[in-house]
Amino acid sequence: MVDLDLLALHGLAVKKAGGAEAVAVVIGSEESAVAGALDEAVASGRAAGAKGTYMVSPAGREWLDERYPEAFADFRADEAASEAYERFERINRELLSLFTDWQMIPAAGGERIPNDHSDADYDAGVVDRLGAQHERAEKVLDRFAELEPRLGIYRRRLDEAYDRVLAGDHDHVSGARIDSYHTVWFELHEDLLRMLGREREEAP
Amino acid sequence: VTAVAERVVVLDGSTVRSREAIGNKGRSIAEMLRLGLPVPPAMCLPIEECRRFHAAAGVLEEEAWQSVLGGLAGIEEKLGRRFGDPERPLLVSVRSGAAVSMPGMMDTVLNLGITEEVEEALGRLSGDPGFARSTHCRFIHEFGQTVLGADLDEPAPDAGPAEVREAVRRDTGEEVPTEPLEQLRAVIQTVFGSWSSRRAKAYRRHWGISEDGGTAVIVQAMVFGNLGEESGTGVLFSRNPLSGDPAPYGEWLAGGQGEDVVSGTHDPLPLEALAEQMPSVHERLLDASRLLEREHGDVQDIEFTVERGELFLLQTRSAKRSPLAAVRTAVDLADEGAIERSEATRRVSVEQLATVLAPRLAEEVAAAAEVVARGVAACPGVAGGTAVTDSDAACEAEGDTVLTRPTTSPEDVSGMIAARAVVTERGGSTSHAAVVTRALGRPSVVGVGEGVTGDLAGRELTVDGSAGVVYAGLLQTEEVDPAEVPGLAQLLEWAAERSPVKVVDEAPDAVDLDAEGTSLDEGAPDPEALAERLRGAPAARGSVLASPEGARAVLLAGVPRVVRLPGQAAAALLLRLAQENGNLEEERQK
Repeated sequence: MVDLDLLALHGLAVKKAGGAEAVAVVIGSEESAVAGALDEAVASGRAAGAKGTYMVSPAGREWLDERYPEAFADFRADEAASEAYERFERINRELLSLFTDWQMIPAAGGERIPNDHSDADYDAGVVDRLGAQHERAEKVLDRFAELEPRLGIYRRRLDEAYDRVLAGDHDHVSGARIDSYHTVWFELHEDLLRMLGREREEAP
Repeated sequence: VTAVAERVVVLDGSTVRSREAIGNKGRSIAEMLRLGLPVPPAMCLPIEECRRFHAAAGVLEEEAWQSVLGGLAGIEEKLGRRFGDPERPLLVSVRSGAAVSMPGMMDTVLNLGITEEVEEALGRLSGDPGFARSTHCRFIHEFGQTVLGADLDEPAPDAGPAEVREAVRRDTGEEVPTEPLEQLRAVIQTVFGSWSSRRAKAYRRHWGISEDGGTAVIVQAMVFGNLGEESGTGVLFSRNPLSGDPAPYGEWLAGGQGEDVVSGTHDPLPLEALAEQMPSVHERLLDASRLLEREHGDVQDIEFTVERGELFLLQTRSAKRSPLAAVRTAVDLADEGAIERSEATRRVSVEQLATVLAPRLAEEVAAAAEVVARGVAACPGVAGGTAVTDSDAACEAEGDTVLTRPTTSPEDVSGMIAARAVVTERGGSTSHAAVVTRALGRPSVVGVGEGVTGDLAGRELTVDGSAGVVYAGLLQTEEVDPAEVPGLAQLLEWAAERSPVKVVDEAPDAVDLDAEGTSLDEGAPDPEALAERLRGAPAARGSVLASPEGARAVLLAGVPRVVRLPGQAAAALLLRLAQENGNLEEERQK
């Protein structure tokens, strides 16, 4: 079992900056306990904090990098985790191209023009693809949650984002300032990379 | 439209049934046929049949199936081909088509009717066995995914049908049928069944759409642009969608088929190549383009295939266009009498106008500047600042910054919000950085190359996210002269005629909404409340007036003049006012 000191700082690193509430959502722990852990991280120089918002300090990042291999040794050694991650990567590629299609519509001559969302059919097509990928993602997330129950929280967050998209809240596809599908997926990706000790591979 | 034994509608254009009966796709095919346009033969199982399917606990009734067979025989007769016949094979596509498009339903399965023997025949007829094999693979893959629910990776380029079949079997324990009629029946049932998929139900629940509806099924003959001489495929725009030039614009792939256009595996030729190769086909295509444009009152994007000298139109829809083309075509269509002038002022969005008028780098300024990096243009626009290499620095900086990162992770989003522009070393137009910067409207260039950003730290940079270039120094951008944008002066004149409010540069007695604390930071204002505040004012200024709600408030209050702020384009304010005024008039009439 990974201790809360590590997990709280890990959650903060995934989010970069945030309050105990947001970190508690990412790691699926009690907010008050997370706040305590983050205050301790500030006291030991692993995080900086002001007005209830925390950030991982450089020393905190080093400390995380040192602790990760041992903390997630089982997860890293588990073939099922690597297999699930490979599948995650494949869905990731599809999703990223979907987000691009959402924002930029292919036009004549190979150019793309910004999507002003005036074409309901086009948007519905992309939302439909998001639904198909979401169904694929659910299977992978269930596998991850079997290996590491904490990761189940991402399934619920993605469900919620997708549900909002379906309800016509289009900003929840790829909006950057909210818990959109892309935001949650991006955090999940970061979380997995850190747990598995991998580098981010960008789409070509 | 002829009914085959009452249960299936053969689409032939004699009557057009309602969208509620045969769905949007069925109706659009029937309309093209009514105009006398060449469309591959098709039939439709109407929405009523979907209700029967569900009433019968998810089974296609025998009588309906017999009607499908009757309709299929009609398609076979029209084309002189037979389903599953290796000598003269007919392949069909099956699509869903509800009255309103809705996510969660099965969309399309292509290439039904392919078997090992048909694959061989297709290879012979096209002279391209590789194409026949990949067509076969694609069918098995699609069937596996959509009908059997297999979670499959894209088949490897050298994979054969047996391998794809095995992948489906491994994932689902089920077989993809090798008998064409069995394939057809299964896909039709899957389309009907998808009306009750989890996603479709969730969507209807959200939108309060009745569960009693259903989807139609369209079965249509497939045509091939790679079978024999005088064949090919292409796309035609009834006007140039990039410049707005009224001359038709298109691409022609001689000997190409369907996906070749999209995938870029064939080099497309301009439309003139088709005119040289098959003048009468070209002429017929242009006639169709004019007819469809007139019918729809908008620029059309038409997919077509020529099979052995015979033209088929596959799809037509309103063309996506650049902001520049949106301005010009709106004015041209009104000048030609295809649409009203008031409609023209509505066809151009304020966002499109803002893009057209966005400040840009003058060519001579760009040519004289030092290029420090080149990459993929990920989010259009020009912005500059001091390069910072991490998000904290971007957030803490006093002045404008450009965030330069090897790659971006969630921790960089706050920095991307704070920075004026973003540059990354790795990744392409679909990378996280590209997606986020577009969401934020931050000009960005991605994939400038390993190690490049380290050298840029602390320097002043200008990022041209439209061209994918990063320059040294803070370069001067220039305003766009509205007179140089074709059609714009005319459009603005029409907008001015439709706005009772004038946009001016200065008015000493203007109510200053920003100074009063009414700004867009609080979200869009309530038009009625804001109108109360503005009533009787001789003029108004403020950032909120660029929003639809702000424009509406000015109109409701009867304020005669709006003063433009330094960052606001007068043209955009005016267009917004004209559009909102049109909306108000429409509401009053109702």
